[in-house]
Amino acid sequence: MAILEARNLTKYFGVLAAVHSVDFSVEKGEILGMIGPNGAGKSTLFNVVMGVYRPDKGEVVFKGKMISGLKPHRICRAGIAKTSQMVQPFNQMSVFENVLVGGLHGKGLPLSRAGKEAEEILEFVGLGGLKERPSGSIPVPARRRLELARALATGAEIILLDENMAGLNPTEIEEVLRLLREIRKQGKTLIVVEHIMRVIMGISDRIMVLNYGEKIAEGTPGEVANNERVIDAYLGEKRCFA
Amino acid sequence: MSRRGPKALFITIVLVLLITPYSGMSGYLIRLFATIFLWIGKTGCWNIISGHTGYIDFGAVGYYGIGSYVTALLMTKGHVPFLVSALAGGLVSGLIALPIGLPTLRLRGAYFGIATLAFAEAMKQILLEFDKTVEVNFFEGPHGITLPMGPPNEFFYYIGLAIMVAVVGITYRIRGSKFGYALRAIREAELAAELSGVDTLKAKVEAYIIGAFFLGLIGGVEAYWLTYITPHMVFDVFITIQMVVMSLLGGIGTVFGPVVGASFLTILYELLHRDFPYTYTIIVGFIIVGIVLLMPKGIVGTRTTKGRVRKI
Repeated sequence: MAILEARNLTKYFGVLAAVHSVDFSVEKGEILGMIGPNGAGKSTLFNVVMGVYRPDKGEVVFKGKMISGLKPHRICRAGIAKTSQMVQPFNQMSVFENVLVGGLHGKGLPLSRAGKEAEEILEFVGLGGLKERPSGSIPVPARRRLELARALATGAEIILLDENMAGLNPTEIEEVLRLLREIRKQGKTLIVVEHIMRVIMGISDRIMVLNYGEKIAEGTPGEVANNERVIDAYLGEKRCFA
Repeated sequence: MSRRGPKALFITIVLVLLITPYSGMSGYLIRLFATIFLWIGKTGCWNIISGHTGYIDFGAVGYYGIGSYVTALLMTKGHVPFLVSALAGGLVSGLIALPIGLPTLRLRGAYFGIATLAFAEAMKQILLEFDKTVEVNFFEGPHGITLPMGPPNEFFYYIGLAIMVAVVGITYRIRGSKFGYALRAIREAELAAELSGVDTLKAKVEAYIIGAFFLGLIGGVEAYWLTYITPHMVFDVFITIQMVVMSLLGGIGTVFGPVVGASFLTILYELLHRDFPYTYTIIVGFIIVGIVLLMPKGIVGTRTTKGRVRKI
């Protein structure tokens, strides 16, 4: 059974259907990639799943329970976390404290336990050396990892990554991909939005494609790459991503 | 400065202040200190909600005024003892903060400021006009209420000291707690806090109620001290502005910022008022502008960020 399932999800902004009748599901331990042109509705879809926006139609079911309509903190505590496209660290708090918040409130741990877990997670994502620094003063690649660390600290079973690798160089991307594979090994489920084709094709078990708020294709990376509608809408000439 | 430094210093000062009235302190100094303690208390309350979450409350005086009136009414009409009345003033303020906070704390930025300002002004108008409109003699409208004569200034010195210690102590405890991390996360990035599992509305409303409770209590204490209140006095927007300025001067969102800011400004007023009775407000204005320009994070805030992460 799917761990997360969305049925007929629709979200309007005024008359514009930012997300229109989208169905998707993801299995436990799976990495689902999501691609589509700018404005296709990827971030909106994530925000609807997280409860930032209330869907106008449709529902989201997580482990057999309806979660659409809940507030984001309830959805986070239920076990879904998101990293944002625009990184939003708690600037004047240290890197450590940023992660601590996830453990304290997302996972509901007492201070001492949350602190211990935050230390472990920071080591895991490779931010151990920066933990005392104010999070507003660390470089962008580190901030992206911090977003990931904070999401991990909430104890989420599903992590939605909204362009977590944007602006990273190839070495840094490799490092994040290694982390994501590690995270998946721990039994977590990932939904990854990314524009870098090499990344998304390499890591995803399955990919869904959005265009103008609608799902236009879904399948293995190979199937999606050869899908005519996807090539028209997003990928362009085949050789671009070979 | 280490993290323990300011705490140890504060405790030492409080211990000294506990005994100084017995060492031949002049009546003037006792009055001045009591005034400072109560300003630290008020500023500390404002700092709990606005300093920690970044929601700038321009209606804080509303709760102070409610506490004043509840205390005055209970003491004059019900002949309830002072301490019980003041505590009731705090509780009523805290209770009213719930229905006011729930809708207004969903607003952001200037909208929250305006909504809270409107609340405090509305309270003032209600107390001014209620009796005339309903044709009763209850709140006594603009004439105000005269309270029974209170005990000497030493009494208010110790009450003020106790309230100051309570407010600063609570802020200190909040700072390193789960609740404190929620409030600070809200100030830095509210949506990210919510997405990390922080029940943002609940945390904001709780902080708002704690602040309102102590403001109501202080309102009750000051009403009894002054023995006479009117809506214009206890709902004066200037009181809110003082809390804001004192917090900004001391260091917004810090534990000891209100202590430093309120002490500094009260003493400054006192000194300048004596020597420059006609021009002192202008001088104070210039000093405030100067400090804000030189130390945008306040006196305590600037000190602590010279290191790395500000910890106070």
